[in-house]
Amino acid sequence: MTSLGTPIQGVTLYSFTRAFHARQYDLDGLIRKVAAEGFGPGLEVIGFSSLRGFPDRIDDTFVGQFRDLVAEVDLVPTSLAVNVDTGIRRDRLMNHDELVEYMRKQIEVAARLGFPIARVQISLTPDAMESLLPVAEKYGVTLALEVHADQHGAHERVLALRDRYEKLDSPLLGFTADWGATVTGFAPSLLEAYRRRGASEDLLRQVVDLWDGFYAEGPPNNQKVHGERFGAFIGLAARNGRPDLGIDFGINGTGLFGPAPLDTWLEIMPWVRHVHGKFFGIDENGEEPSVPVRGLVRQLVENGYSGAISSEYEGWHWNNWQDPFEIIRGEQAVQRSAAANAGSAMITDASDARRILSSHLAQPVRG
Amino acid sequence: MIADRIIEQGTLTTQDGRTAVEVRIPWYRALPGSCIAGAALTVDGVAAPEDSLRWTMNNRTFSFEELVDETGEWWFPLDSAVLSGDLPVRDGQAEHEVRVDLKLYIPYIITDHGVLHIEEHDTKTMKVAQR
Repeated sequence: MTSLGTPIQGVTLYSFTRAFHARQYDLDGLIRKVAAEGFGPGLEVIGFSSLRGFPDRIDDTFVGQFRDLVAEVDLVPTSLAVNVDTGIRRDRLMNHDELVEYMRKQIEVAARLGFPIARVQISLTPDAMESLLPVAEKYGVTLALEVHADQHGAHERVLALRDRYEKLDSPLLGFTADWGATVTGFAPSLLEAYRRRGASEDLLRQVVDLWDGFYAEGPPNNQKVHGERFGAFIGLAARNGRPDLGIDFGINGTGLFGPAPLDTWLEIMPWVRHVHGKFFGIDENGEEPSVPVRGLVRQLVENGYSGAISSEYEGWHWNNWQDPFEIIRGEQAVQRSAAANAGSAMITDASDARRILSSHLAQPVRG
Repeated sequence: MIADRIIEQGTLTTQDGRTAVEVRIPWYRALPGSCIAGAALTVDGVAAPEDSLRWTMNNRTFSFEELVDETGEWWFPLDSAVLSGDLPVRDGQAEHEVRVDLKLYIPYIITDHGVLHIEEHDTKTMKVAQR
């Protein structure tokens, strides 16, 4: 029998994109704020968002300052989110060798800054992941490929990666599970944002009905179905005289609110090295109305997961009327309550978190 | 997306027929010059000619043709870039309606139709800043 997991509480600075972009906090100030609020101990950073000059111009002075700051405020670096910018050139996509080198530079920065995980993205094929394994080994960094809507744990691309991981059998190749793949409703705060943009109640009801229908049908298992669903949102907006909202409906309805059942995570659970606790808001009852946070935490605990959960608030795209710090506080309270209800606890002490994360990442995949 | 922050309030300047405004990235992460695919600068309904537009970031100034191959200079989320073009704006105390359109490529999202691009715009009203 699997012993109960003890997930590590944490946050990604992505949750505070609006405050950072508005220059309310610089990187130093935001990290101090996260620590002071008790949103750690886990700390996740997106390289291209938070680090000026990433990855080519990160000098040793900055590295030293970053490590000193994290030590001073007693946070635990979990994941550096890196990007697979295959489409950076206008004339063609990157070739294989360019891609490996592009990723190597970012993974090296993760190691220098003290992040044990680099979050990578779905455009890496099984062959690309295999090519990156020596890079992961060189730097001792776990590559955790993010499974994000519109994909999910049972998607054909994800299963192909899993099968390659199984063959390579390295503890350094795994997944980041993003809770946005397993959402149970169209986020009410986004409906409110559309309302503020003049969308009628009738149109909003149709948007919810369309999404609920996709939820009932189940998630797309290939890109063709995904494309058809995207098109359905655009068509709905056009038929209702709001073509300006069509792309937005499509991007959010398919790319943020993935309708996969929770049990799809079981397909890849042994390879889940990191979790994005993606969510969109906290309601008046203190609960997340469209992401089943309690069920997701219980599933992780019952499957013995003792890695980090980075609370990832993505409602900031549209919600400019609520304080993201309060919203994170609310979501982490739900996580802690859910872990307790499952007979375990979230890890909130930094020294416990360091010990447990180290053990979690060192485990053989089938350990 | 944070399109309402593209134009920095109060940064409209004009001199000798060239007009400029400071702009912020409407996205959460840095993008290189090669992903800044186009822009338009319009003041009081008059657009600067496309070939006169220049983009300044990290103390370097580019035409949009030059940006196509620029993967070394990045537009960081905290930094203002400057968009400028040939556009006479009468000085004085009048309020001007400034509009900026931006087309950005998102290099990690590859769709069936190629690399995803987003088109964003912002309009703000301001006076010419005193230099």
